[in-house]
Amino acid sequence: MLSSTGRALKDSDGKPGSIQGSKEERVSGSIMATRSTEKHHSSVIKAEHFSFYYGSKMGVKDITMEIYARTVTAIIGPSGCGKSTFLRSINRINDLIPNTRVEGRMLVNGQDVYDKRVHLVNLRQQVGMVFQKPNPFPKSVFDNTAYGPRLQGINRRGDLQRIVEESLRAAALWDEVKDDLKKSALALSGGQQQRLCIARALATKPNVLLMDEPCSALDPIATGKIEDLIDALRNDYTIVIVTHNMQQAARVSERTAFFCLGELIEYDSTVKIFRNPGKKQTEDYVTGRFG
Amino acid sequence: MKVIRRTILDKAFTAITALPVVLLVAALLVILTPMLWRGAGAVLFEGTVEWRKMQLAEFGHGDEAGIRAEADQAQAARAAVYEMIDKFKSGVDAEQLTDRAKEIYRGFGKELQRKDVPREQYTMLRSLSREIRDKLETAFSSSDIGQMRELTNDVLQYETDDRFKGTIAREFFPLARKYQEAAATVNLNKRSEYARDLAELEQIIRDIFGPRPMEESPALAQFRYGATRWDQAQDLLFRLLWKEEWVEKQPGQPLVKIAASRKEQFAETELKGMFDLVENNLGRMLNPKWTFYWRYFTDDSTPGHYFGGIGPEILGTLILTILSMAFVVPLGLISAAYLTERTHEGPVIRIIRMCINTLAGVPSIVFGLFGMAFFVLFFLPLFGAPSKPCILAGSLTLAVLTLPVMIRSSEEAIRTVPQTYKEASLALGASKFRTFVTVTLPVALPGILTGVILSLSRVAGETAPILFTAGIAVGPVPKSLLQTTRTLSYGSWDMAVADKLAALVPHNQYGMVVTLVLLILCLNALAIVIRSRVLKRLKGH
Repeated sequence: MLSSTGRALKDSDGKPGSIQGSKEERVSGSIMATRSTEKHHSSVIKAEHFSFYYGSKMGVKDITMEIYARTVTAIIGPSGCGKSTFLRSINRINDLIPNTRVEGRMLVNGQDVYDKRVHLVNLRQQVGMVFQKPNPFPKSVFDNTAYGPRLQGINRRGDLQRIVEESLRAAALWDEVKDDLKKSALALSGGQQQRLCIARALATKPNVLLMDEPCSALDPIATGKIEDLIDALRNDYTIVIVTHNMQQAARVSERTAFFCLGELIEYDSTVKIFRNPGKKQTEDYVTGRFG
Repeated sequence: MKVIRRTILDKAFTAITALPVVLLVAALLVILTPMLWRGAGAVLFEGTVEWRKMQLAEFGHGDEAGIRAEADQAQAARAAVYEMIDKFKSGVDAEQLTDRAKEIYRGFGKELQRKDVPREQYTMLRSLSREIRDKLETAFSSSDIGQMRELTNDVLQYETDDRFKGTIAREFFPLARKYQEAAATVNLNKRSEYARDLAELEQIIRDIFGPRPMEESPALAQFRYGATRWDQAQDLLFRLLWKEEWVEKQPGQPLVKIAASRKEQFAETELKGMFDLVENNLGRMLNPKWTFYWRYFTDDSTPGHYFGGIGPEILGTLILTILSMAFVVPLGLISAAYLTERTHEGPVIRIIRMCINTLAGVPSIVFGLFGMAFFVLFFLPLFGAPSKPCILAGSLTLAVLTLPVMIRSSEEAIRTVPQTYKEASLALGASKFRTFVTVTLPVALPGILTGVILSLSRVAGETAPILFTAGIAVGPVPKSLLQTTRTLSYGSWDMAVADKLAALVPHNQYGMVVTLVLLILCLNALAIVIRSRVLKRLKGH
C-alpha cells in the first residue's frame, strides 16, 4: 500500500529555475513568496487529534492538520512548543525515547503510522528526515549517499553510482564533491555536510522530506544555499520544515502552522499567517511581542 | 586572593599532579631495568665452545666441522690440566691404586689359568703376586714414607723377573714406581685431606670442562657439557681458586665465612701449578665468543630449562591469548549491544549488571577452579572430548575471566556513539541490527579496541586460571587444542617455586619473565597502532 511515487528526478542544477516568480520577489525586497497557495492537492500527512506524551509530560496535544502534497509547510513557534515532537512523530523517530505514549491518529500516505501492522522500514524510506545538526556517517561521501539504496537492496555498482549522482545533484552538492566521492564526509564543511544529509535522505526516493531546523547550525551563506535547495525541491517533494527563524519560514514555505505550548494555534497559508493572522497569539508571535 | 598566592598554588597543583607520574616512571625504571638487563643475558652473552657443542648435539644448530675443530683445540689446551691431576691423583688416591692392584692380581690369575700352567708353578706365582699385591696395598695406605719406600722397593725387585714378562702382572711395577715418585712430593699425613679436596676439585673441573673425552656420556643433558657461558665459567673459576671456609676470627665470636686460597692448600704439591694454568689459560680452554642467541625464542629446552630456549612457552602463551580473545570479543560485543539497546532499565537488566560487576572482582584462582570444574570436568565430556586439562578449556576459562572488562569497555564505547548517527540511520529505514553493525560498531571501534587491549594484557600474563585447566611445567609442544601447553606465566612460576634446577640458570628465569613483559608490550603496541589507525580513519583523514 505504501508505494513510493515513481518519478524521474529533474536534471536540477540546483537553481530555482522553475520558480522564477518567487526569485524575483525576493530580489525586489519583499519577504513574502507570492506563490499560488490555492493548490488543491491530496493530503500526504494527516494528523487527527494527535497527542504525544513523554511519560506524564505533554509533548503535543490534540493536533489536527493536513499537510498537502508537493507543498512546503513550515512549523513555527517558541521553544518547547512541540514542533520537533510533532515532526518526529511523523516518521516515528520518537520511538527511540522510552516511556512515550500516543493518542489519536497520524496518517502518512493514507496509513496510520502508529498502527501495529505498519512496516517501519517502509515508512522511513518514504519519509526522509534531515536533522538539526548535520550528521553524516563517518564514511565516504559515496557511502553516505548510497546507504539508503543499499538498505533497499540495490547493490550493483552501476545502479548505486547513478542514484548517488542523481541525489547529489538534487541536493546541489554534486559539483563540489564529484572529483572525490571517496573523501570522508567529515572533511566537508558544515553546509556541505547538511546538503549531503539531504542528498542521503533523497537517495531513498521518499515523497516526504521532514526537516528539523536544518539551518540552525549553519552560517548565513550555507543557510541561503539550503533555502535555494528547498526551493528547487518544492515541486517534487512534500516538505515539512520546523524552524525557529520566522523570516526563513516566510521565505520558503507556502503554508505555515503556528504551535504554542503543545497546541496548534493556527494553520493557514503563509501569506495569511504573516500578513493577517487570525488569532491574537499568532499575531503576537509573528510581530515579535513574545518569542 | 592575591595573584602571587594564586600563581604559587597553581604551580604547586601542577607539580602535585606531575608527582604520581614521575613516581610511576621511576618505579617502572627501577623494576624494569634490572629485569631487562638480566633477561638480556639470556639472549646476549659470551658463549663458550661447550655451548656451541651443546647447541650442535642437542638442537642441531651450528657448523659441525668448525665446532669439532674448535673442540679439539680446546681439548688440546686442557690436556695439561688433566695430566697434572692424574699425576697427583695417582700419588694420593690410595683406594684407587689399591683397587688397581687387586685388579691386576685377578687378571694375572686368569691369565695363568688360560695358559694352563703346571699346578706347582701356578700356586707359586699366585702366592707371589698376592704378596706383591698386599705389599702394595700396605704401601699405598701407609703414611710413613720410609715404610712405603721399603715396600715399593721390595716390589720393584721383581720388575725384571721373567716370569712376569708379557703378562698383566707387569703393570704392578709402573704402579709402584709412579706412586713412589708422586708420594715423594706429597705429605702423606695430609693425604686424606687431599683426597677429599681433590674430589671437590675434580667435580669443579668437570663442571667447567665437562666430562673427559674418554668418559661415557652422562644420561642427563646438563652434565654432558662444561660451562656453557663465560660468566658461569668465571664463577666456577672462582670456586676453583677459592674455598669457602668457616673460621673463628675472634675467639668466642660466631664463625665467619672467608675464602681460603686453594692454591695455598696445595702449595706443597705438584698440583699448585694447575691453578695458575687454568686461571691464565681459561680463555683458550673455553674459547668464549659473544653470542646473540636469537633462537632462544624458538628453541625447545632440555628438562629443567637448563639448556635451550623458551619457544614452546611463547607459543603456548600466544595460542591461549589469541584463542581466548576469539571467544571473548564476540561474546562481549553481543552482550554490550544487548545492554545498550535496552532503553528500559528493568529489574532483569539490573540483575545482569550486578552479575557482571561481581564477576569482575572474582579472584583469578577461583576462575581457575571454576574452569576445571565446569569446562574440564563437565563441558568437554559433553562433546566427547576427554575430561583432561587442555588449551581449549584454558582459553575458555580465560575468556570468562576477562568477559566483564570486555563488556564494560564495549558498553562505554557504544554509549559514546552520538545518538544522532543512530537516528539518521533509522530515519533512512535501517533496522536496529543493521544500524548497529554498519553505523554504531565502526564508530565505537576505537573504544572497543581499548577493551581488547586491556583484556589482552590481562590474559597473556594470567597464571592462576590456567594452573588447572591448561598449563603444565614440563611437556611436549602441543599438536592439538585438546592438549596441555607450557606458557610463559606458568613457566615463570614453576621456575621460581618448583623447579630445583632453576637456581642454576638465573638467566633463563629472567629471560622468561622479560619475554613475557615484552610480549605483552608488543601486543599492546600492536593494538594501539591499530586503534589509532581506526581513529584516524573515523576522523576523516
